[in-house]
Amino acid sequence: MHFISEGFRKGITLIFGLNPEVLAILKLSLSVSIFATLIAVCIAVPLGSIIAIKKFPLKKIIIVLINTGMGLPPVVVGLFVALFLSRNGPLGFLQWLYTPRGMVLAQVIIATPIITGLSLAAVQSVDPKFYRQILALGATTRQSICILVKETRLAILAAVIAGFGSIISEVGAVMMVGGNIKGQTRVLTTATVLETNMGNFDIAIALGLILLTMSLIVNLALTFIQQSNTGQQK
Amino acid sequence: MIEIENLKLDFPGRLNLFIEKLSIKKGGIFAIIGPNGAGKSTFLNIIALFQKPDKGTIEIWGKNILNLKDKLTFRRKISLVFSQPYLFSGSVYNNISLPLRLRGMRDTRAVDEMLGLFRIGHLKESKTDALSQGEMHRVALARAFVSRPQLLLLDEPFLSLDPSYKEELIVQLGHIIHTQETTVIFVTQDQLEALSLSDNLAVMMDGKILQQGRPQGIFSKPDSKEIADFVGVETILEGDIFKKEDNLCFVKVGEKIIEAVSEYDAGNSVFVCIRPEDVVISRYADISSARNHFKGQISDIEPWGLGYKLRLGCGFSLIASVTKQSVENLNLKPGEEIFASFKATAIHLIRRES
Repeated sequence: MHFISEGFRKGITLIFGLNPEVLAILKLSLSVSIFATLIAVCIAVPLGSIIAIKKFPLKKIIIVLINTGMGLPPVVVGLFVALFLSRNGPLGFLQWLYTPRGMVLAQVIIATPIITGLSLAAVQSVDPKFYRQILALGATTRQSICILVKETRLAILAAVIAGFGSIISEVGAVMMVGGNIKGQTRVLTTATVLETNMGNFDIAIALGLILLTMSLIVNLALTFIQQSNTGQQK
Repeated sequence: MIEIENLKLDFPGRLNLFIEKLSIKKGGIFAIIGPNGAGKSTFLNIIALFQKPDKGTIEIWGKNILNLKDKLTFRRKISLVFSQPYLFSGSVYNNISLPLRLRGMRDTRAVDEMLGLFRIGHLKESKTDALSQGEMHRVALARAFVSRPQLLLLDEPFLSLDPSYKEELIVQLGHIIHTQETTVIFVTQDQLEALSLSDNLAVMMDGKILQQGRPQGIFSKPDSKEIADFVGVETILEGDIFKKEDNLCFVKVGEKIIEAVSEYDAGNSVFVCIRPEDVVISRYADISSARNHFKGQISDIEPWGLGYKLRLGCGFSLIASVTKQSVENLNLKPGEEIFASFKATAIHLIRRES
């Protein structure tokens, strides 16, 4: 038990000592996951809304596929993204393997179905007459989606929180696509795995604590925005 | 002018909408009344292009709208108000100005005009979640009018309002609609709403238009027993015309004889329709000019709107509407005997298969 408490002590020292290596890992983790979440939101929210409001053939099958995608194993995503980005893969010319861009791509693929599925459910929960009312006021499809997203913003924000939470904490995909290269593609989760394997429990605990704290801060911020809007939403 | 021909939409087991021909004149308020599930809202949804019919044509402003590729341009000429106000989060002003903003317009004068017309100027900056149900309805109507629609579709817009507020809003809305020169199609199951607001009326049942005309005409001379039942004819009796003198029919109802003005000849079997408000109640035998006088016993008195509904047994069951004041002044109680009278011209006869 002593090594665990010692690990916590050293971990806290590392955090408050502003260790440059830890700070670099933290910065990369945040930038990769926030950027991936932003891209995923831009794709997933309109996509989920369109699927929710439009009638088209195979709609149910597409919804099943999206729901399946919400549980995509990050390791499988990592494997396929790594294969596609590898030198001989179809996207090899991009030279994104073992780069933060490749990691962003993998995380976008993980977060997009989650945010799409939850956005779709949010918009589908709106009374169909409400959507008709928007159209009857003279809205284009794009305008009606903007209004629907605004009206369901609490649920959409929950979708964003879920998407961000899933990628900031995943390790399989970033490990396989990023390669956990020190100073280049090492993020909090991959660094934690590495330090644990090397027996450096103090550093692993420190990284784990940072990951938890960071996740807490981001979610606190999003939840604060979400809850401050509850009074306005009908 | 709106011309509808052979409009058909079949929801197997639920609704079979079929409108052979319907013309709605430009300007004025056209009401469609009918019970729940008659197809009224489906009809509005077809006009608003939210529902595609199986076949038929709807010609509005010279074009069959069912073939329109550009639905947006058409929808920007119309407006739709549901029974729920469906307001968006934000201020009242933002809600009313939304149709204009969607069209890329910023006409603050038009919004202010609507705020004034619907008497909600004091709520301009209020958040919509702080409004009462009645205020929400006013905002929804103001929002529907702000873009000056050429056609306004009202889908039971007063359904959730309390009676006194509803009455006030109907009067104001009627005035606003006539000053704005908008054509209005208004569906409701409330006869009084239709009677107070519409210029023309159609009765829809089981997906079909059964009767169309001026509201007073339909309420006083329904074409069928079903329509009579729906438009508030409380007494519908089966009888046979056994004699006719000029246009006065003598109808045998059970053991009693009712005199009615009608074009039907002797020998016809008919339904005798008597509206409750046409029956006059008195303590003593009436010496009025009414041709029908009956002595009867009160079997039941129940509250009905602002007054009471009186059920009389006088050889047949007769229902009369009486004011609260009459019930008190005449000291009417169940079991007591009173006199009922009604004019021959107040009775409407509907031919029935004998």
